[in-house]
Amino acid sequence: MEKKVAIAGFRIAAAPDLETTRERLVFDLSKGLLDDLGITRDAVDNFVFCSNDFMDGRTISHVFIGPAAGGYMKDQTKVEMDGLNAMIYASMGIISGQYDVTMVVALSLTGSQASPYLYTDYSLDPTYDRQLKLLNELSAAALEARSYLTAGGYPEELLDVVAAQDLKNAAANPGQARRIDGVSRERIKGSPYYYEPLRELHCYPPTDGGCAMLLVSEKKAKELTDKPVWLLGMGRSTDIYYLGDRDLSTSLSAAQAAERAYAMAGIKDPASELDLAEIMSLFAHQEPLLAEAMGLLEKGKAAAAYEAGDTAVEGRMPINPSGGPLGAHPICATGLIRAAEAARQLRGEAGENQVKKAGVALAHGQDGVCAQQSAVVILGT
Amino acid sequence: MEETKVVTGAWELSTFKFNIEGRGLQLMLKHMKDRKLMGIKCHQCGTVYLPGPFYCRKCHIRIDEPAEVSDHGQVMTFTIGYADVRGNPLDEPRIAPIVKLDGCDSWIMGVMQGCAPEDVHVGMRVKVHWAEETTGSLQDMQYFVPE
Ligand SMILES: [Zn+2]
Repeated sequence: MEKKVAIAGFRIAAAPDLETTRERLVFDLSKGLLDDLGITRDAVDNFVFCSNDFMDGRTISHVFIGPAAGGYMKDQTKVEMDGLNAMIYASMGIISGQYDVTMVVALSLTGSQASPYLYTDYSLDPTYDRQLKLLNELSAAALEARSYLTAGGYPEELLDVVAAQDLKNAAANPGQARRIDGVSRERIKGSPYYYEPLRELHCYPPTDGGCAMLLVSEKKAKELTDKPVWLLGMGRSTDIYYLGDRDLSTSLSAAQAAERAYAMAGIKDPASELDLAEIMSLFAHQEPLLAEAMGLLEKGKAAAAYEAGDTAVEGRMPINPSGGPLGAHPICATGLIRAAEAARQLRGEAGENQVKKAGVALAHGQDGVCAQQSAVVILGT
Repeated sequence: MEETKVVTGAWELSTFKFNIEGRGLQLMLKHMKDRKLMGIKCHQCGTVYLPGPFYCRKCHIRIDEPAEVSDHGQVMTFTIGYADVRGNPLDEPRIAPIVKLDGCDSWIMGVMQGCAPEDVHVGMRVKVHWAEETTGSLQDMQYFVPE
């Protein structure tokens, strides 16, 4: 795709408990972002929110946060999926020519105000799966983990290796909620099992947080920023809901979403053309699983790639240099944060975790149990 | 940090009613009384589902052809749980496999007994352990045991 939509700026917040309200979080993120860019809400013509009514404990929950973002008497809509879908939806309004400046705000307070691992029970088919009383987000992820490890011939220790790399990166990223100094594979392996083979430190931490991002047209990008990050491609795909009809050892939704995004961005060989990837892996096994599905790592060779350091910040194919969702998962915002962290890399502002040559990046978001839905965007300078 | 106050609230979930397209489930339950598993087959692509849906997810057509599925199969993946789905600790670790029954394309989830957690593996052959007295309910299929 030609340069039609750019990220002009973003703000991220994440902590186990932000000790705040949804309205104040939205106000702080969006006002902060407008201040960063030296503009006011008058410059924004469209607002896209991303939150989840169930986790907010009320229906049509975005009506309460619209004015806090500066959206009084402006166009306001909500996407109730992962935030990367909100970014794609917001981009379409700009590509169509209707809007020049769109604020995307995604958030949840699932660290302090909801039980993230357990709410999944309420998203299950109430007449069958929920009656079985065997599935929640963790047990489903554990089934997926076992399936992936078995299919790839990987040892359970791969989970410790992946988590150790992510948590090391997360510790060096001030934007993350879970920051453990000097985290080791041994410490990860010593954390308790939730559902075998998944241990506490293989799983995302319950997180309060959000992300505000300003998307702008090519014309406005020139006015607002010296470092525009361009949207080069996007794609999405949704698998079947029922786990019994899916191949849990891979992710068809991620493979197809990526294929569509690569086609749009003109990418033929993702492993060599992409400089880094920010992947929404909520559990340690999902990072190599999704990376393989999207063609970033060779199938069956993930363990060797991690051990060789290929996926580290200084490696051949850096994956989640931000630390990824094992560092923070504010549900609804996490995929949007992947895009923001990728943009931070492309702007050369990632500090200790900066990838040397960062020109083209992939961001992945997911929704539903075991990445039923995937969204992928390709970003470039 | 400014002070924030906490107010607790709840959604009354029991106020929801769910209508179901129950033919496939009814078919399955009816035959479970005779210790048989009856799914539904797509007449176009041949996919066999259990419990049977009223349409084929791949072909997007209505389907209604009954197809018997074996009560033997193999473990496709499994997890060992230490807490129930609401997070309450269990007395004993619980093995929960997903099983591909012979003659069926969709997989089914259940619990497994008669086997130590460390002996479960992907690919292992298992069979359904039926209730002593079957009544035509989901409880008839009590758990899986090694073949
Ligand atoms: Zn069919």
